[in-house]
Amino acid sequence: MSTARLVRSMASSSSSKWQVNCGVSPQLLLTGNLQQYRVRQYANEKKVFERTKPHCNVGTIGHVDHGKTTLTAAITKVLADKQLAESKKYNEIDNAPEEKARGITINVAHVEYQTESRHYGHTDCPGHADYIKNMITGTAQMDGAILVVAATDGAMPQTREHMLLAKQIGIDHIVVFINKVDAADQEMVELVEMEIRELLTEMGYDGDKIPVVKGSALCALEDKNPEIGSEAILKLLQEVDSFIPTPVRELDKPFLLPVENVYSIPGRGTVVTGRLERGVVKKGMECEFVGYNKVLKSTVTGVEMFHQILEEAQAGDQLGALVRGVKRDDIKRGMVMCKPGSVKALDQLEAQVYILSKEEGGRTKPFMSFIQLQMFSRTWDCAVQVQIPDKDMIMPGEDTKLILRLIRPMVLEQGQRFTLRDGNLTLGTGVVTKVMPPLSETQRIELTEGKKAREKKVAAKK
Amino acid sequence: MLLQKFCRRTLHTTRQLCNSLEKSALSTLRKKTGYTFANCKKALELHNNDVNQAEKWLHEQAQSLGWSKATKLSDRVTTQGLVGVLVSGNRGAMVELNCETDFVARNETFKRFVDHVSRIVLHYTDLTEFDGDLWKLGFESEALRNLETPQGGSLADHLALLIGAVGENASIRRALCFKVNNDLRLAGYAHPAPTNVGTTQDITQVGKYGAIVAYRSQLDVDDPELQKGICQQIVGMKPLKVGEYDKDTPAENKDDETCLIHQEYLLDADKTVGEVLKEHRVNIIDYHRFECGEQTQQHLKEILQAQQQNSN
Repeated sequence: MSTARLVRSMASSSSSKWQVNCGVSPQLLLTGNLQQYRVRQYANEKKVFERTKPHCNVGTIGHVDHGKTTLTAAITKVLADKQLAESKKYNEIDNAPEEKARGITINVAHVEYQTESRHYGHTDCPGHADYIKNMITGTAQMDGAILVVAATDGAMPQTREHMLLAKQIGIDHIVVFINKVDAADQEMVELVEMEIRELLTEMGYDGDKIPVVKGSALCALEDKNPEIGSEAILKLLQEVDSFIPTPVRELDKPFLLPVENVYSIPGRGTVVTGRLERGVVKKGMECEFVGYNKVLKSTVTGVEMFHQILEEAQAGDQLGALVRGVKRDDIKRGMVMCKPGSVKALDQLEAQVYILSKEEGGRTKPFMSFIQLQMFSRTWDCAVQVQIPDKDMIMPGEDTKLILRLIRPMVLEQGQRFTLRDGNLTLGTGVVTKVMPPLSETQRIELTEGKKAREKKVAAKK
Repeated sequence: MLLQKFCRRTLHTTRQLCNSLEKSALSTLRKKTGYTFANCKKALELHNNDVNQAEKWLHEQAQSLGWSKATKLSDRVTTQGLVGVLVSGNRGAMVELNCETDFVARNETFKRFVDHVSRIVLHYTDLTEFDGDLWKLGFESEALRNLETPQGGSLADHLALLIGAVGENASIRRALCFKVNNDLRLAGYAHPAPTNVGTTQDITQVGKYGAIVAYRSQLDVDDPELQKGICQQIVGMKPLKVGEYDKDTPAENKDDETCLIHQEYLLDADKTVGEVLKEHRVNIIDYHRFECGEQTQQHLKEILQAQQQNSN
């Protein structure tokens, strides 16, 4: 049955349902102006995502038997009762079948729901190493996490590792849910809370301030004891709403445009093109070009998109910007145009990198420190020397911390993503975790030194 | 509980005091033993809030509690885990242990257990009299479970204790022990290994990969750098055999080389492993490589097939 017919039949059977369905005010309905809304309903056959609330990514972490998946199911159920989510059953979210099929596909359950104030993407984090690699290298991003602990068991030895991972992947905001309180007594629940706060403090979180909600996900799912069931779930969501901050949108950040091309237009001047990565650019704004050992100041004198003048370009727009007082040869692809002082060029950094396995198209051989690779990020690429700080060698398929030294300084910031290539194959992908002080002159000379020279030096020291 | 009831009957003011007393009993017990809250609570209830007796009871019960947990979780698949490598003088052991999540594998409790199992397997080599050159023995999962430990109980009992502690299924997949005599020596390496570790003697190294090498050297002193290099070569390049100069010819594509001696040496790409070995006057007699989860992969296919058949 087509949607239109469905709507018509519903309209005839019950007018109140019709209201719910397309949200027409009762007055309009009384005038009998149905045709117009029927047309609109056609377009709704596939629901259009409405961006009315800020979006936030969260995930559940915790021990396998403490009820992460039950909690996820309970959240969707409780919110579905308020028409804010689609209810998901436990086995629709359960990762276990995929965890078993590890190596074939990694399909992680991703659930969406919304509260009164925000829209959420929710990941039920699996515990296998491959997924943890994704989290470490930032492929699976989370703005905050819900740590699930069962009141009957308390913190497990590996809860420490759960928190460590959260810390490592940059999650600063954790909300704790003490589950299964229906199977424990008041005293146990209090002690579990104390214990988990202590552990959080020990792992570098603010244990006293982190919200802890107690309840039973199972009760919420089975519609029992609302005070520890659905009400606890709502309380948890309230805490998540208020404690985990909304991520800053790209649009609200200082503007940044990686330069793709530079043209000289006779009679007008120099135009740079590229995709505005973040922020807003308007005519008359001060700007700065950074990269290749250069910092050039200028002013944007015009913004164009598809040969049309643009009042204001926003993040995501492919644009051309006319800039004052710089020559075409001063600017090169790979530089960035940005708000003055907002970014810096670096030649040394610490990164967390995932090295592709052979099956994923990576190297077959492991590698050691001092390997020379080509690093690609935004519109630039640059030769880098790799140092492995805490291991001897890296096998394909591993994730690792690396120190990268660039032949020349390029614009890099914490959280920036990049790819490492070796000849014609992609070796790995990673994210900048720490900005390091610039290379000293001797270090820079050492960069270009061959292996023989290095060995000689080591021998001389001995 | 009795105490609490008693308190309720007495003065209102003392009730609070008693409650906090009891609370501290539960929290002390939990802190001291690390057993789950539910079990600590049960122990206190059974022993009239006597912490010492409850603790004793918990330790006595740990084995059976562990077993009941282990039986409950026994059908869950374990794909993560660690490889442990232990070399001590002329004896060596390599084990693979599996668990459900990588978090547990990274945990200290689990690492300690890997060390424990490695030492038990190593101890097993002492039980055999042997004076030949090289003796090695592989264990399958079942044999390992039945292995008696010097501390008492079988290895399966010890495993049940671990399962009770981490609340996740775990298994001892396989193990291997080496014993060499005369002029043969052993070296071991687990990857990823921390750098700048002075000695690997008598220390269980843990990682996702492991290798043990038996070799004959004409030099009196061991060269730890070379030992490590050769082990890294085996872990990294996965050779299928040592190879012989007069029988095996180098492969056309050097990246596909499966003979150890013809492979490019990882630490110095200008040389082959054979050349490095000659230079140091070392002969590789035998080696073994473990990769965590490499056997599980095959098992998984069988498990998945079985599951499909069941659902059909």
